[in-house]
Amino acid sequence: MKFRKAIEKFSESILFASSTVTTIAVLFIVFFLFKSGMGLFSASPLEDGYALAVNASNPVKQLTSRQIKDIFNGDVTNWKEVGGSDDAIQLFTIDELSSNYTEEQLGASLEHIPACVNDYVSKNKGVFAFFEKRFLDKSFSGRMVKVPNITLAEFLNGREWYPTATPVAQFGVLPLILGTLWVTFLAILIAIPVGLITAIYLAEIAGDRMRRFLKPVIELLAGIPSIVYGFFGLVVIVPFLQQLFNLPVGETALAGSLVLAIMALPTIITIAEDAIRSAPVSLKEASLALGASHWQSLSRVVIPYAKSGILAAFILGIGRAIGETMAVLLVTGNAATMPSSVLEPVRTIPATIAGELGEAPFGGTHFKALFALGIILFIITFVFNTLVEVIKSKKSS
Amino acid sequence: MSKKTNQLLAFNLFRLVSFMVVASLFLILGFIIINGISVINWDFLTKAPSNNGTEGGIMPAIVGTLLLVLGSIIFAFPIGVLSGIYINEYLKENWFKKIVRSMTNNLSGVPSIVFGLFGMALFVHTLNFGDSLIAGSLTLGLMVLPIIIRTTEEALKSVDDSLRQGSYALGATKLQTIRKVVLPVCYPNIVTGLILSVSRVSGETAPILFTCAASFLPRLPHSIFDQVMALPYHLYVLIVSGTDLEKARPMAYGTAFVLIALVLFVNLFANAVRNYFIKKSK
Amino acid sequence: MKKSVVTLFLAISLLIPVVTNAQKVVCKIKGSDTCLPLSQRFAEIYNKNNAGSGISVVGGGSGVGIAALLSGTTDIAQSSRKMKMDEKLKLQEGGKSVKEVIIAYDALAIIVHPSNPVSQLTREQLEGIFTGKLTNWKDVGGPDLKIIVYSRETSSGTYDFIKEHVMNKKNFTASALMMAATGAVVQSVSQTKGAIGYVGLAYVEKEVKALKVSYDKGKTYVAPNVSTAMSRKYPVTRPLYYYFTNTVEAKVKPLVSFILSKDGQNIVLAEGFVPLS
Repeated sequence: MKFRKAIEKFSESILFASSTVTTIAVLFIVFFLFKSGMGLFSASPLEDGYALAVNASNPVKQLTSRQIKDIFNGDVTNWKEVGGSDDAIQLFTIDELSSNYTEEQLGASLEHIPACVNDYVSKNKGVFAFFEKRFLDKSFSGRMVKVPNITLAEFLNGREWYPTATPVAQFGVLPLILGTLWVTFLAILIAIPVGLITAIYLAEIAGDRMRRFLKPVIELLAGIPSIVYGFFGLVVIVPFLQQLFNLPVGETALAGSLVLAIMALPTIITIAEDAIRSAPVSLKEASLALGASHWQSLSRVVIPYAKSGILAAFILGIGRAIGETMAVLLVTGNAATMPSSVLEPVRTIPATIAGELGEAPFGGTHFKALFALGIILFIITFVFNTLVEVIKSKKSS
Repeated sequence: MSKKTNQLLAFNLFRLVSFMVVASLFLILGFIIINGISVINWDFLTKAPSNNGTEGGIMPAIVGTLLLVLGSIIFAFPIGVLSGIYINEYLKENWFKKIVRSMTNNLSGVPSIVFGLFGMALFVHTLNFGDSLIAGSLTLGLMVLPIIIRTTEEALKSVDDSLRQGSYALGATKLQTIRKVVLPVCYPNIVTGLILSVSRVSGETAPILFTCAASFLPRLPHSIFDQVMALPYHLYVLIVSGTDLEKARPMAYGTAFVLIALVLFVNLFANAVRNYFIKKSK
Repeated sequence: MKKSVVTLFLAISLLIPVVTNAQKVVCKIKGSDTCLPLSQRFAEIYNKNNAGSGISVVGGGSGVGIAALLSGTTDIAQSSRKMKMDEKLKLQEGGKSVKEVIIAYDALAIIVHPSNPVSQLTREQLEGIFTGKLTNWKDVGGPDLKIIVYSRETSSGTYDFIKEHVMNKKNFTASALMMAATGAVVQSVSQTKGAIGYVGLAYVEKEVKALKVSYDKGKTYVAPNVSTAMSRKYPVTRPLYYYFTNTVEAKVKPLVSFILSKDGQNIVLAEGFVPLS
């Protein structure tokens, strides 16, 4: 008897341990995401092993990554535009050495490069030098420009996502967030009416045989892998849109939305249909008894009753669409611009992570930035899931 | 407009829209099947790819997918079923149960790419498994764990309590009741959940992108620390890379065909199992 | 006399197995999408001719390969760009030194839609197009059509090479469409009238048109093909690298020797790349 009790206790503890796995998993995911992602904000966007220097007399002590990029691109040409004196900015990289110094001056095995760099920097008041740290002379006469660490504000509001920009990486996620939202929002706009209508049809209007045929078919739609949807989208939808709207390019947010809408439909349909089905029959019968038509009973009594379940369906559908990776990666063109219309290419957060994670060296700044993106994605889906649970619990109370 | 016309209009519109949804499914399936079926032959299914995927077959990808399914189910099925049992049968309706339920729901909503991120950080790097079958299986297993837990829970919930009470009345312990009375009733639903997980695992690309997938392997994996090829990843590779896109395209259709056939077959099988048991219980 | 003959005989008989045995190589190659078809072909043929070999290949981009080399998850990183200073430093910090081998050369073709009447551009024009300063084909003597730039992802060595050498380190325009792999670039350019993209010579097919490029401000334009690449007349030619650490050097040596041999270089030519000499 005691033995049996021991087994019972033991089994119970195994069962208990198993049930904690999901909680542990979620906690782990949060932990890993945050550990790597938040590390971004104590990292410098300047590439490791590189130096940014100016002449010692230059009053400018630090520059934002945006300013550095603009200077390097040639959009900012005078120091006064970034708070310095009225001097033309002179860009200098190692490549310019050979046009300013003879081979003799540089040394037979290029050993005099640091000295030449030092010389150039000290002679040119408006210089802006970018070169590898190993070319830093021991008695360097210039001054290093301070590049502040990436701030949360810069990250969330920055309009450029350019993790490999020279000389400093740009980590502005605004275009990515907007891209994700545009694609998802449009997909939902398409999927919600279509999904609701189909759910109503299935729940109330279709005959029994039709329903038995349609339900598994719609569930099959849910089972098709996203890469296949992406394939279909790339080969059929993208050229179709290009021709239909006479666009310069078919890879657009609209293409992504269409594919996502089809992918979100089964979720929306099955859950909404369940919600409508769960309305008590007596409700509908009472309405019919009062003289309302079938359609009127549906639209004014049954569906309002199932409101919260239908809402849950929509939110879950949105949740599924936001996180979609492969299909979107293939059809939206992945251009990290601020979207101004749905007929333009966009770049979403999941596609960015999938496209760039492989090349980011483990633990590097780019890697941390991608994890920060993962955090954003996780938070969004977490919020949506919690919303659904709140709705569900409100309904039961 | 009269009530009747209104209704007629609405109902027919609804019928039309619903059929359009179904039509889109057939459009997609038809697209793959028509283009892919001409590529399918015995060689395609049993040989390895050669000449950059433009010739040969996709056998390593098929085997890789099956291995990933096996690996993820080995991990997720026992833990999932046991969790479902514990949550439904042992836990009282208190804060802990709410948290566990909430966590399970959240895990099921996490996008597959975040699983990929997590799997790469934890299994590939921190635990140093490297790009391997085990890293991929664990990541995919985590992804389908909530599905199995939820179906087990639903199945157990639907068992009438009187069954349990009867068993206790006869002197059985809780464990015995679960094992011999409650669970057997739930087998069909639990099996359905298992089968749906299989179909989910077969089709996912994002979680395996950074945890185990390879474009070209010389031989089938020898150990759980080897990389694998997989159908969805192979399809992705054929779509976007390769020097001769025109020649690779038919292979892509063929791969998509095999992938869809696998997923559809599994789904239909799950439905059949479910229907069979529903009929049986009647 | 007898002793030395016997010693010589022994020495030779010991050498023979080394010389005639098939050299099995088991290793992982990861990285450049450009090199992918070449490496896969090498792997396929080497695996077939040397029983017991297991060479696996994964793409993803040069950056992916180098990142994997740094974290120790691959033996060879195939790359279409030179390894950066900080990357080499990171490896050295780990106590390893990196070996670089050039396996082939590749002519980088600038491709446009076949219907595009423009057939040659200078480096300055290309820089203007890729940085987004020139936005319409009429700016470069073509039709009034918006220029759509197709680029590779940032992990691509090809992307890096274009940025360094064609664009003089300037940054790409944010409106460039970033495609996951070279094949996707070809596919998209072939179906978009105003498109421009860049791919390795091996990827150029009849569905796209390769432009002639001038590096001397328009005096001479050269078309990309194997012979102009070999003679370096075509200015946008780059080496393709295999990087590996000294710890695996012995393991991969037979494969590397095969690639550098005449047979290996014939494969290079057959795949549409440029052999070493």
